[in-house]
Amino acid sequence: MADSNSDLEIVIGLEVHVQLSTKSKAFCQDEVAFGGTPNTRISPISLGHPGTLPQPNALQMEYAIKLGLALGCQINQKSFFDRKNYFYADLPKGYQITQDNTPICGQGIISIEMGKEEKSIRINRIHMEEDAGKSIHDQDPLHSLIDLNRAGTPLLEVVTEPDFRSAEEVAVFLNKLRQLVRYLAISDGNMEEGSMRCDCNISIRKKGETTYGNRCEVKNVNSIRNAKRAINFEANRQIELIQKGITIDQETRSFNAQTGDTLTILRSKEDAHDYRYFPDPDIPPIIISDERLAAIKASMPKLPQALKKALIAKGLSPYDAEVITSEKALADYYFSMLSFSKNPKSAANWLTNTIKSYLNEAQIGIEEFSISPKTMVAMIQLVDEDKINKLSATQKLFPALIKKPEIAPLDLATQMNLLQANDTNAMDEWVEIVLAKYPDKVDAYRKGKKGLLGMFIGEAMKISKGKANPKQLNSAFLARLAD
Amino acid sequence: MKPFALVIFFIVHLCRFKTTEVTLSKKYHKLTEIQTALQAGKLTCVGLVENYLENIHKHLKLNAYVEVFEEEILAKAKALDLKIQENPTKLGKLYGMVVSIKDVICYKDHQVSGAAEILEGFTSLYSSTAVSRLLKEDALIIGRVNCDQFGMGSTNENSVYGPVLNPIDPNRVPGGSSGGSAVAVQTDSCLISLGTDTGGSVRQPAAFCGVIGLKPTYGRISRHGLLAYASSFDQIGILGKEVENIASALEVIAGSDEYDQTASLEPVEAYKEALHFDKKVKIAYLDAALTHKGLDPAIKTMTLELMEGLKSDGHEVEAVDFEYLDFLIPSYYVLTAAEASSNLSRYDGIKFGKRSEDVQSFDQMVKKSRTKGFSEEVKRRIMLGTFVLRSGYYDAYYTKAQKARRLIHDKTLEILEKFDFILMPVSPSVAFELGEKPNDPVAMYLADIYTVQANLVGIPAIALPLGNHPEGLPVGVQFMANKFEESALLAFSNYLIYQHLKAKC
Repeated sequence: MADSNSDLEIVIGLEVHVQLSTKSKAFCQDEVAFGGTPNTRISPISLGHPGTLPQPNALQMEYAIKLGLALGCQINQKSFFDRKNYFYADLPKGYQITQDNTPICGQGIISIEMGKEEKSIRINRIHMEEDAGKSIHDQDPLHSLIDLNRAGTPLLEVVTEPDFRSAEEVAVFLNKLRQLVRYLAISDGNMEEGSMRCDCNISIRKKGETTYGNRCEVKNVNSIRNAKRAINFEANRQIELIQKGITIDQETRSFNAQTGDTLTILRSKEDAHDYRYFPDPDIPPIIISDERLAAIKASMPKLPQALKKALIAKGLSPYDAEVITSEKALADYYFSMLSFSKNPKSAANWLTNTIKSYLNEAQIGIEEFSISPKTMVAMIQLVDEDKINKLSATQKLFPALIKKPEIAPLDLATQMNLLQANDTNAMDEWVEIVLAKYPDKVDAYRKGKKGLLGMFIGEAMKISKGKANPKQLNSAFLARLAD
Repeated sequence: MKPFALVIFFIVHLCRFKTTEVTLSKKYHKLTEIQTALQAGKLTCVGLVENYLENIHKHLKLNAYVEVFEEEILAKAKALDLKIQENPTKLGKLYGMVVSIKDVICYKDHQVSGAAEILEGFTSLYSSTAVSRLLKEDALIIGRVNCDQFGMGSTNENSVYGPVLNPIDPNRVPGGSSGGSAVAVQTDSCLISLGTDTGGSVRQPAAFCGVIGLKPTYGRISRHGLLAYASSFDQIGILGKEVENIASALEVIAGSDEYDQTASLEPVEAYKEALHFDKKVKIAYLDAALTHKGLDPAIKTMTLELMEGLKSDGHEVEAVDFEYLDFLIPSYYVLTAAEASSNLSRYDGIKFGKRSEDVQSFDQMVKKSRTKGFSEEVKRRIMLGTFVLRSGYYDAYYTKAQKARRLIHDKTLEILEKFDFILMPVSPSVAFELGEKPNDPVAMYLADIYTVQANLVGIPAIALPLGNHPEGLPVGVQFMANKFEESALLAFSNYLIYQHLKAKC
């Protein structure tokens, strides 16, 4: 890690590849899915067979524009696909279809929260492209194996300006980007499955300088944690060299997740590929009409920032609003609860406390949570209507409901004998039993030790096996002891 | 005597036909005649196919066909004969049309090689849109024909199957790259042939062999299933002896296609129904093209005579300026080579095609497979294309050629706003001698001067037999029209070479 007292600063720019969750590939009808038996999601088009031509996927353009709008980018209503030419075993056509000079989304800006500070990150561009297949080098001693299932999968490449100054800022940005793509439902954002991959351009310069140092591009970073590790390792490596008076060579390096270090894979500009970009003559210019752009804008879901504001306006605490909007699935669950509930605050309380703790403990996401929003609201209503007390609800009914989510909460509470006894006869009986059991304490209370009231209520609760309504007990004791 | 120049040219043309032996396929030159005979029971599809097969075998030494689907087509012809008897209302529009396809056009479960070693033994998993549409209308595909490798060449000597020979003089080339198509049509080894035309590859061999060759508007016929040479130039073309047959085939295979984004959405006209022609037209010719020093004087004279004939028939023929003639060839070769270098990258021996063994690394495997799998001419164009796309050279070559293409495009369309057609020679010379051009690629490229304009601009163009050169070899003449004006172009062509002739004979 760079010493915060040092007069050097780290400068980082990112290129993030986002794999889109379209049903079919970017330029043909093959299914897009993670994994699968190698070479089963392929066709003459994705194999680059002679005579085949690309059929652009309109959804890729729509998704690109949605992300562009979310990142405040200018949308280019006319753009082109280009060919990036290079030979590789897992690149079937010998070129990748991408966008070079005319990305579909131009410059944008997005703010990230670093503690209480807000920081702006400028987006340079977002362009559309297709993924390559996979080369597998470790399964056969003599051969490299090729799996082309991934070949042609639609990608967006988000390129930022070199606006990051620490690994932490990068982590916050990547989290935010992941949150956005999930909200937009354009990608699952799973870095470990390769749905988001990140190349980090890292350089070092003296604080206050306006030009950049020579940068190294670190490829192959597949998690937010690894992005931090890679950046810190690479920054330290460069700082050490600079402090020894050695100039940094511009090069491409690969991050090794096992060792946490980076290794040179391509030295200097001279060795760099000349990709011979030129406009793909097989695909006419991409024209986005005003109408189509307006329709896409209209179809944009509420994004987390706007959603958070709306929740605070409903009376939620900023903390609850933040927790609920942190993940789209949580927010979806919350809004689904609201369609059955008239009490947004208690729904939020339950979601951010009881449900969230359970999810954390069980290490599952809300998607795998067994209780439906409707059932959950029915259970919360039992508490809100004093039919069951909060303690029994969280400790007994909620765990039972998780196992039997198909049973109505009221029925389950009845079966479990958890319903509060609200009739005064029973109440009076419990009060009398307690008062009879502790005559000394009754004396003490009457002499002024009012704090004993809590103990009486507690005892009565025990006797009632939790069915008594504590509020009613409270008033019953007060009335009886005032005699 | 000038008014009769046209007549003389057509009499010469007709006489040549009369001198060859009369066979079944000679008797029936038009699809309509074939269909009438089939309906009347005077002819069977099997009989027709056997006749074409006989002609194929008779002309084996010309090397036009690389594969004949003999058994398959006989079986299909038999089935079709049954359908004619039992289900005549269900017949497709093209029943009785026997077609050969250039070996760059995919036909499901059939080999396609681009006449290259690198695709040796490769079988296509799907049919090109053109082939699918032909089959759907009951056309019969008889075989695949030889061509220059991946459509690159003007002599048909650039083929892994060896050169195709010109039927009129076997010491000459048939032209290229669709040389096999032209020879198959000329020798009545099929009724029509599908070729491809990137810079004249349908029109020039048609002219060298004395048949008709149409290159439609860019995007008129889907390129799906056509092995790409230069994507923004390539277009499937049709060779035949009768305009009528070409029109019938065109209206079936033309039109938009979900598999090709560059295929036009422009509606397809009923070309065959629109062949009637009785108006006076305005024809432009490029002065610079006729005064070009490379043009054979006899071809020039024949072309001028035709122009006089047209004038006498009441048509307007006017010279126009065209300052970009010398930019045609450089623009064409820079851009097509650039696109080819990328289009041919997929042939690496990894996923399909022929892979070179005995290699130690991926790089070696690709290098060796491609070095061995491509011909010298193809490699020359890949190298040229790779060079012009290199960073640092891109603007000087590729960008500049794109700008020139734009100028050529705009100027040509400007002419076609005022004129119905542009008249041009097809080639500055008659068919080359075998072995004359391959050693001098620049001379070969320069011979494309009259044909590349239509591809640079994307307009339709047709080569028609103009007559015989004093040396005895066929000479062609070319007409170009505005985009999607195939209907007018075909009607005018039909008037020129058929109706006019018939009326005056």
